[in-house]
Amino acid sequence: MKKERSRKHRALQLLRVAVQAVFLGLFLKLLLGTRFSGEDYIGNVEVFFHFDPLLGVVSFLASRQVLAFFGLAAVTVVVTALLGRVACGWVCPLGTVHQFFSWLFKKTKMVRPKKPAVGGLWVKYAVLVFVLVSAVLTLDLVGLFDPLSFLTRTVTTAVIPAFAQAASAGVGGLYALKLDAFGDGLTQAVERLTLNGTFGQGFFIGLLFLGALLLNLERERFWCRSVCPTGALLGLLSRWNLFKVKVDEARCTKCNLCSTHCQTQASPFPNKEWKSSECVYCETCAAVCPTKAVTFPLRWKREPPPAVDFSKRRVLATAALAAASVPFFRISKARKRAHDRLIRPPGSLAEDAFLAKCVKCGQCMKACPTNGLQPALSEAGPEGLWTPVLVPKVGYCEYYCSLCSQVCPTGAIKELTIPEKTVVRIGTAWVNKNRCLPYFLGRPCIVCEEHCPTSPKAIKFVLVEATRPDGTTAVQKAPVIDLDLCIGCGICETKCPVVDDPAIYVTSVGESRSKTNQLLLQTLSE
Amino acid sequence: MNRRAFLRSAAWGSLALGVRPGRLTAAPPPDLAFVQGESPGALAKAAVETLGGMGKFVAKGDVVMIKPNIGWDRTPELAACTNPEIVKALVELAFAAGAKTVTVMDNTTNQAQRCYIRSGIQAAAKAAGADVPFVNPRRVKKMAVRGVWLKEWDVIQDFVEADKVINVPIVKHHSLCRATIGMKNWLGAIGDPRNQLHQRLDEAMVDLAAFFKPALTVLDAYRILVRNGPQGGRPSDTKLLKTVVAGTDAAAVDAMGATFLEIPPAELPYLKFAVDRGLGRIDLEKLAIEKRTV
Repeated sequence: MKKERSRKHRALQLLRVAVQAVFLGLFLKLLLGTRFSGEDYIGNVEVFFHFDPLLGVVSFLASRQVLAFFGLAAVTVVVTALLGRVACGWVCPLGTVHQFFSWLFKKTKMVRPKKPAVGGLWVKYAVLVFVLVSAVLTLDLVGLFDPLSFLTRTVTTAVIPAFAQAASAGVGGLYALKLDAFGDGLTQAVERLTLNGTFGQGFFIGLLFLGALLLNLERERFWCRSVCPTGALLGLLSRWNLFKVKVDEARCTKCNLCSTHCQTQASPFPNKEWKSSECVYCETCAAVCPTKAVTFPLRWKREPPPAVDFSKRRVLATAALAAASVPFFRISKARKRAHDRLIRPPGSLAEDAFLAKCVKCGQCMKACPTNGLQPALSEAGPEGLWTPVLVPKVGYCEYYCSLCSQVCPTGAIKELTIPEKTVVRIGTAWVNKNRCLPYFLGRPCIVCEEHCPTSPKAIKFVLVEATRPDGTTAVQKAPVIDLDLCIGCGICETKCPVVDDPAIYVTSVGESRSKTNQLLLQTLSE
Repeated sequence: MNRRAFLRSAAWGSLALGVRPGRLTAAPPPDLAFVQGESPGALAKAAVETLGGMGKFVAKGDVVMIKPNIGWDRTPELAACTNPEIVKALVELAFAAGAKTVTVMDNTTNQAQRCYIRSGIQAAAKAAGADVPFVNPRRVKKMAVRGVWLKEWDVIQDFVEADKVINVPIVKHHSLCRATIGMKNWLGAIGDPRNQLHQRLDEAMVDLAAFFKPALTVLDAYRILVRNGPQGGRPSDTKLLKTVVAGTDAAAVDAMGATFLEIPPAELPYLKFAVDRGLGRIDLEKLAIEKRTV
């Protein structure tokens, strides 16, 4: 037998790499474009999410609503049914990242697969069942594992901030080297791209990403093999696809290279062991075969392939575990009483409906021009981990901006026009008279009044007499808040000169989206 | 020609040669140019022309910095930021006078990009060839302001490195200092925590005005903000005056601006400080004000 690798499949492999690069580039372009670019309304930068059938299914199950924009996911479903998991192998940006690191680890000989890996595939189906059963019980956990949410959140809260920090250090270095023009240019570029550099949990979210990348040292594309619930769903859809692997036994030398280098443990050799649900059509097996024995002929023959070792018993056990776990995710004091600092972006649905839709992707945090939207830690309870919260100490809600509501992929934040947005109340401002300069020191200030964006202003001033520490008195203009006008944007808190613990601050009470978190009785106001 | 005729004609001749050109250059420009009309850009150009032209303030090869108010994420009809047409006209004049570079910059209050774009100033100034960079935090350095009250503060270096600085404020209501005009505009040329200057805002503004020493102040009173300042929010907060005032006396320009808000200049504590420190005059009735309509 003449030893010669298939040029056709090598070409297909290279084509696949090119397609991956294009889609990763498109994904990053849209993500970097999720910012104020000069227009009030930005395009459909969240479109990648709408091609994700798992997000569509979970959002439907958890929110009990059909979300029309997930109709695009039908494309992925049809393509997967006909062609298999090409979405995983050729399109998915997180898959591409994992594949790149797998390749890198292999090239640097940090991973040297000697024989095909065994087992572990069922875990991602367990994740899928867990996520789906939780969704039926209205708990939306898909965002923790869904590749698009995972990557968007990571790039937004960890990778870009790290880059912004590095760029800042780099600018310092450029100036130190007297390369002022380059330093100026880099600073301007970072400002124009609105690269938010501060996220409360960016480090931990980044650490998880690093862990996911390092798993590729254990097995190539570990995430895609064993974790990704979206891949699992597509695997279930791909069993009857048109292109099934075929090993020509007359040519095969049983070297097992194809199965050893299979990126997703689909096991092309021996033939009967091949799992169409695992194959992502990366073309590696066919390209690596020394005798051109591996091909993917067009065959519409229904052959039940060997299933992954995810038995009915495991399905039931996982479902039971999920059902038992859901209540634990709901142990939260935010359910007892509204959390004062749980200030949601404008347009957010009422809390229960919000949590049933938010996939924690962080698109809104990427879009926020002031960096004020931050991933929640405990404010919204365990199920609200990494959901968006406005932290006015970091940044305020820009008055004429509704970008966060425009880019939300699931409608957890309802899309608002600018005029609609300016009247949405996300909280209410309060003055801490014990720290406010005019009130307790008799010094002029009213910076908050200056910055209040509504017209007429929600922050007004009154003349207040303060007794100074030396016993003298002073009369100064001091802020008071008109609760009927305050929208809770938080610029007063952001700009308050009492920097560490602002003397004016916003809490969630009065937020438009809540029926219960209210203070003023409308019936009493004249 | 006899001797007497010669002497007479010589006398007239020397008068004509020596004195007439002397009288032309000696004609003092007015203290303030006060121009009214329809087009904001034309008003700005006419105001500078009335003061003797941009060539009086900008020399060939100068690095020129123009400081409008771009502080807020507000569109021009809300009169929270300087009119973009006026900024554009000044950029054009500076280049026509031989400026090497013209930069337009402000340390904004709302997010910089939104302010630059939605004020219309970035596009207008760029169209005229100016650089419109954002504030670079690496170029903000502590400096000796040497004011009466404000001794040192973080200053954006672009403003002190320029050969000539032109202040282009807009007239707006402000709850603390009552009027934010030219001197208050300098809070956009310094670094944080500038909000803390509110504790002695009147003194700080005057100290900053003395420090930055603009070659020229061109006041945008085309559409001014009369309430809910300094950012307003509704067209009804504004008043259309279709006026531009220009002068080299920063105190006089601000005094004129105060009258647009119906505040007698002498009532503003900061203008009193400015006079005390010899920054200029606010006795408008005694100033030479040349009024034009274009």
